[in-house]
Amino acid sequence: MLEMTEHVDKADILIGIASFNNARTIGHVVKAVDAGLMKYFPDRKAVIVNSDGGSTDGTPDIVRTATHDHAAIFLSHPVYPAHRISIPYNGIPGKGSAFRAIFQKAVEMGAEACCVVDADLRSITPEWIELLLSPIMKEGFDFVAPFYSRHKYDGTITNSIVYPMTQALYGKRIRQPIGGEFGFSGKLAAFYLTQNVWESHVARFGIDIWMTTEAIANDFKVCQTFLGAKIHDPRDPGADLSDMLVQVVVTLFNLTEKHYEKWKGIKGSMDVPAFGFRYHVGLEPVRVNIERMLGIFRTGIRDLGPIWLKILGSGDFGEIEAIGKLSGKAFRFPPKLWTGILYDYAIAYHKRLISSEHLIKSLLPLYLGKTASFIMEVEDMDNEGAEAEIERLCMEFGEKKEYLVNNWREGGA
Amino acid sequence: MEGFVDVMFQPLEDFWRGFISFVPNLLVMIFIFILGFLFAWVIGILLKRVLAVVKFDIWCDRVGLTALIRKGDVWAKPSEVFVRILYWFLVILFIMIGLTALQLPTIDNLISQFFVYIPRAFSALLILIAGYLFAGFLSRAVLIAAVNSGYHYAKILAEAVRLLLVVLILAMALEQLQIAPGIVVAAFSLLFGGIVLALAIAFGVGGIDAAKRIIEKGGEEKKEETGEKGRDIEHL
Repeated sequence: MLEMTEHVDKADILIGIASFNNARTIGHVVKAVDAGLMKYFPDRKAVIVNSDGGSTDGTPDIVRTATHDHAAIFLSHPVYPAHRISIPYNGIPGKGSAFRAIFQKAVEMGAEACCVVDADLRSITPEWIELLLSPIMKEGFDFVAPFYSRHKYDGTITNSIVYPMTQALYGKRIRQPIGGEFGFSGKLAAFYLTQNVWESHVARFGIDIWMTTEAIANDFKVCQTFLGAKIHDPRDPGADLSDMLVQVVVTLFNLTEKHYEKWKGIKGSMDVPAFGFRYHVGLEPVRVNIERMLGIFRTGIRDLGPIWLKILGSGDFGEIEAIGKLSGKAFRFPPKLWTGILYDYAIAYHKRLISSEHLIKSLLPLYLGKTASFIMEVEDMDNEGAEAEIERLCMEFGEKKEYLVNNWREGGA
Repeated sequence: MEGFVDVMFQPLEDFWRGFISFVPNLLVMIFIFILGFLFAWVIGILLKRVLAVVKFDIWCDRVGLTALIRKGDVWAKPSEVFVRILYWFLVILFIMIGLTALQLPTIDNLISQFFVYIPRAFSALLILIAGYLFAGFLSRAVLIAAVNSGYHYAKILAEAVRLLLVVLILAMALEQLQIAPGIVVAAFSLLFGGIVLALAIAFGVGGIDAAKRIIEKGGEEKKEETGEKGRDIEHL
């Protein structure tokens, strides 16, 4: 069994796993990480840091004890077996606070390269560790974003908001800016740690977009790596979609405000260097309830009209009312309209038109309308077809960027 | 004879002496009045500039205070209204201070009552403004949350929340002003209790079918979810 190490001082590599009641899956994740370190970085001092949010199901114990038969996988024995540390984090409960504790450990231990992986992953393999760390250790990159094969219906906040907006603003095509698994250099971890954001939504689900955007906007060397399929435990059904949307979009808009000088002059976009071998994977089916999405969208038109009118103006609101009357399969949410809506929301957020929480929560029915439309559009398409639709939306965001720049005023209205 | 003349002129002399001693007080009062008008005018100009710098009108638009004063048929800018209120408050304050210079017991008594009442009036005004903003905020939060949950009667629910809060705030403000406090508390209890009872009865009697539909729909959705293959969509 691998040794426990509350007393490790230095490490070349640090792997962070944020967890909260993940006893069912974290054993597999730790084993995969451990195997990846042994296979690809046997001569490096490595430490696995589990940043736990107070699990009551024995998650930290599993991190300490999870083991597998190395002899069955490897011919040689590693020079430095990976150490494991389980630490409770402080602050607002959430993924971001857990990552903060990981950054602290990385800086304390002087880690050269780090990566973070979710504790509920089922599809993680030892190769993920190599794919996330090698670009940093061998190619000198500072930030490695993940690139997964996902079901065409999955990742709709990514596909319709975060990816197009990040691409249009910062001119970098990072397909999964909020993927969840990232590689980063010790230098970048130290930079993250100096930022005063830990009492905001960054402490929760905002962490992913924050890490990606800060890396791009501060000119760190950024790339992406293909990891295959991402399959994880079903999320907590009680997790509120509107809370997730608020955490991600508020962080995105805060960063848009912060880096205005950086993005206002950027035109067009380019690919970032990519690693990993791309291959097709079978994906499990996804259940969608289009009727419910459209129901909420139409209720929004009826009841949130005055709020939307204030944010979007009569032109876009009139269009929303018009598409709201389209029934069933005829329902379509034009990319141009969606782009205008998101830019108007960014401007309204910047000008503090209404409370930020209310503003972003009022976006949810529109987002569900857009998602329902996208699902119907790509229903008969393969994944490539769906990807082409997403790229079309990204082009729309790029073309309309001038509207955002022209309507943006420093310090509000 | 001399005594008779003295008796005759004594009241006039007293009046004259009184008048002579009153004139300085009157002059002081007039001086304080003029000073008050001047002071209020200067403060008004300064405040107007400060409010323009801090974009007070835009803030009022955002939080809904402009809409509130428009409802009261006031069409001036919020900053102007605020400046005018402060101007007249200062003028009245100086008039009251000036009147004390007359040293008339009845007026002194009235003025001391006025000064005792000022904090109450001020806190009642604060309760009304803060309450109005809070009621608007909470009602909008309820509206958005209800729409996002797919609740069909979101607007009615939000309006009900706003109405309840407005009733509560008005009762608090009147209680603060000490306007028939007993009646206010009784009226509030009756009204508030009545609204809650009416809502309960309305849902219990009128909403039987709606409640049944909601429960049935929930059951059907659950069945669909468990019956249909696959996992839920991942938004992130």
